[in-house]
Amino acid sequence: MKTALSIMLLGCTASTAAMAQDTLTISVYSFAQDEYRAALYKPFEEICGCELVIETGNSVERMAKIEANAAEPVIDMAVISTQDALSLARKDLIAPLDSAKLSNFDKLYQAAQDPIGDHMAVGYTFYASSIVYRSDLVDITSWGDLLGDEVAGQVALPNITGTQGPPTLMMLGKALDHGDDFKPVISTIGEKADDIVTFYSRSSELVQLMNQQEVIAAPVGRFAWSSFKDAGLPFAWAEPAEGQAGGMNVMVMTKNNGNEELAYQFMDYWLSTEVQTKVAEMLVDSPANKEVTVSDEIADNLTYGADVIEALNILDPATILDQREDWVDQWNTEVIR
Amino acid sequence: MRHLANWSILGLTLLFLIGPFVIIILAGTSAGNNLAFPPEGMSMKWYLKVFTIESFRTSFALSMALAVFGTLAALVMGIPAAYALNRYDLPGAETVRTIVAAPIIVPGIIIGLALLRYMVVPLDVTVTMALFMAHTALVLPYAVRVVSSSMQNLRVDMEEAAVLLGCSRMQAFTKVVLPNIRSGVLAAFILGFVTSFNQVPVSLFLSGPGVRTLPIDMLAYMEITFDPSIAALSALLAFMSLAIVFIAERLLGFSKYV
Amino acid sequence: MFRNTREGLALALPAAIFSTLLFILPVGILLSEAFRQGGSWSVQGYIDFFASPLNRTVFLRTLKLGVLVAGSAAIIGYAAAFCIVNLSPKARGRVFGMVVLPLMISPVARTYAWIVILGRTGIVNEAITGLGLSDTPIRLLFTETAVYLGLLQLFLPLMIISLVSAMENIPRDVIPAARVLGASWFAVFFKVILPLTKEGLVIGGTLVFTGALTAYITPAILGGSKVLMLETLLYQRVNVSNDFVSAGVIAMILIVMSFTANLLLKRIATTRS
Repeated sequence: MKTALSIMLLGCTASTAAMAQDTLTISVYSFAQDEYRAALYKPFEEICGCELVIETGNSVERMAKIEANAAEPVIDMAVISTQDALSLARKDLIAPLDSAKLSNFDKLYQAAQDPIGDHMAVGYTFYASSIVYRSDLVDITSWGDLLGDEVAGQVALPNITGTQGPPTLMMLGKALDHGDDFKPVISTIGEKADDIVTFYSRSSELVQLMNQQEVIAAPVGRFAWSSFKDAGLPFAWAEPAEGQAGGMNVMVMTKNNGNEELAYQFMDYWLSTEVQTKVAEMLVDSPANKEVTVSDEIADNLTYGADVIEALNILDPATILDQREDWVDQWNTEVIR
Repeated sequence: MRHLANWSILGLTLLFLIGPFVIIILAGTSAGNNLAFPPEGMSMKWYLKVFTIESFRTSFALSMALAVFGTLAALVMGIPAAYALNRYDLPGAETVRTIVAAPIIVPGIIIGLALLRYMVVPLDVTVTMALFMAHTALVLPYAVRVVSSSMQNLRVDMEEAAVLLGCSRMQAFTKVVLPNIRSGVLAAFILGFVTSFNQVPVSLFLSGPGVRTLPIDMLAYMEITFDPSIAALSALLAFMSLAIVFIAERLLGFSKYV
Repeated sequence: MFRNTREGLALALPAAIFSTLLFILPVGILLSEAFRQGGSWSVQGYIDFFASPLNRTVFLRTLKLGVLVAGSAAIIGYAAAFCIVNLSPKARGRVFGMVVLPLMISPVARTYAWIVILGRTGIVNEAITGLGLSDTPIRLLFTETAVYLGLLQLFLPLMIISLVSAMENIPRDVIPAARVLGASWFAVFFKVILPLTKEGLVIGGTLVFTGALTAYITPAILGGSKVLMLETLLYQRVNVSNDFVSAGVIAMILIVMSFTANLLLKRIATTRS
């Protein structure tokens, strides 16, 4: 009750500006917060003598809030997907990063150093996207198998509005020989819509559905793989003929947040070999720092190593941004109906 | 025969209404890592885990504070309003009633969105403050309605008698009216508390760094994992609500006022 | 009644002003935004909204589910309420308490249970395959059926409560008297019970219908992106597309639907008698 009261009072009296001095507000994905706290937040708070305020949520919600508070940023730095970062950059909501202020910048893989151009973001993790399936019930060797009869009525796809949506379309396009044109892919999904259990928007939802056998195959990012592994069911990670899709999450700095120094310090710490190794060993994020070395067993659960990262099929964030509206329109008429 | 038919209809209805709740309690006792029924083995570990999750503790405290103070604030405004609507020949009585009752009809999600857009963002009101005001506005209709209905049963002449016997109007209110509507006020408080505590749509848009009501925090937790701790927490909260209702029922026959 | 109007207004105004500032004003601005197009008044937002087939489907689905849930709640509600008022006072209190109970439980928890119940390996499917009604499990999650069941469970108590308090006002011997005089149960219901409980039906019907329209959690969890309803669509419009015009349009539609339902029910109730 006392805490409740003090929260109320805090909310009424203290202004955010007065607190900004020793507080860094970050906006992150909501998964694995316990691990981040141990490997990243707590150690950083000790180093900087400051307090981290952490806002979590899915990227769409967090983006909407950054935009709503553009005039007086509440969030100082955020980690989001490349296309969301580009969207923020186009709306002039984030500031270019000065690589000189990031001592670990040169240790990053080339692809992570300037993923969206103009130094508006740096990548901190890569992930592969492939298909998780029940190896005792089906065998998945191609992205095209997702629309096959074997899994009909027991397959889920990511929603078009989520991060995993467009990469899935891309890989289905390769499997169905449509190249880079997503239109026929969406039409095909529309024809098969009744065979698809749901278009999920959170990986946790998918984990639950796969655990209760509602779904036996679905595309998912590698970052969710560890939650499948714990379930005790025979789940397998497909290696489709078309290869794996890939994505990268990046860090951005909100424009004119007045807290840049602390934000740089935090970003640099997160990119350091030490933190990147710790986070990788917890199977949370695959490293973007090429100096990170992990055991084979750990590596097996991550998207790790130059060869793997270079082989990923990464969709250009600009393409996603420019065409998403059209995809969503077509999706809404042909798939959801 | 009639008896049997009666009880089977009631039994089925109650099974439909309460069954899911029983399943949640049991799913929370699972020893496995998945939400499942029947549960995979028995264990109390998820019930214990709930207490170790820090964000649940802070959001519980926030929800508790919102429910208690929001309902109190609503009563502070609602009791005089209910009194005025019952005892005075007000020209705009119907308008006042409509205005105060409006938050019940409008979808909660719109209230939250409107407050975010036109109060939190432009007027620099903190999210906590906005939540507090939104919850107060939401409970206000219940406060006015429940208190009104308990005031209707109170005869005006008792109050007039008190005034004739030398009480001031204020004294007449505190000495005659208030003691007689006590149970109505308590019922309004409990109803308001439960409404506010379980409120989801209004709070959906009203969250900020470190500020989140418990139901919203539960939804956020479900975005990460569907483990049985959510079932356990749901069951614990239900028991809390039940305890409150049970005590209220014992004290004043609460169901009369719902 | 006291005559001092000024005193009365002083007592009633704080609540009215608070509700106006905190509620009517912001919601009003939001709704009016849906009528603005490039600085002038226009209904273009509504035309655009209904031009999209998806939006039309979602609108019709919401209407359909609202009517179905309210209708089913009325049927089950009458049966249950009739049984409840026929119980001994002691049993009545207990059963009534159990009907009210779900209202006190967080809707998050109540909806959550349905994921487990309706899953492929959940009890409903176990029963269906066990009884040999179907060889393979039926897909129930992410269907309109799932949303319908979830909503019905959520709002049925409101209907039962309204009908029970209405039925308590029927004089004890009216129904036996009608039966003795040879009225069938059918006639008793339509000629005696319904007219005497119509007020309860109007209140309960409005509460259930409005509740079903404006519920968020249930369609979000049990329907997902395949079974969008207006409320989930509104959330998606705001959060995915930052589209406040559509949000205002949907909000307006929801409010108009609730009011219309309330007026219609009242109209039906008055013409019947």
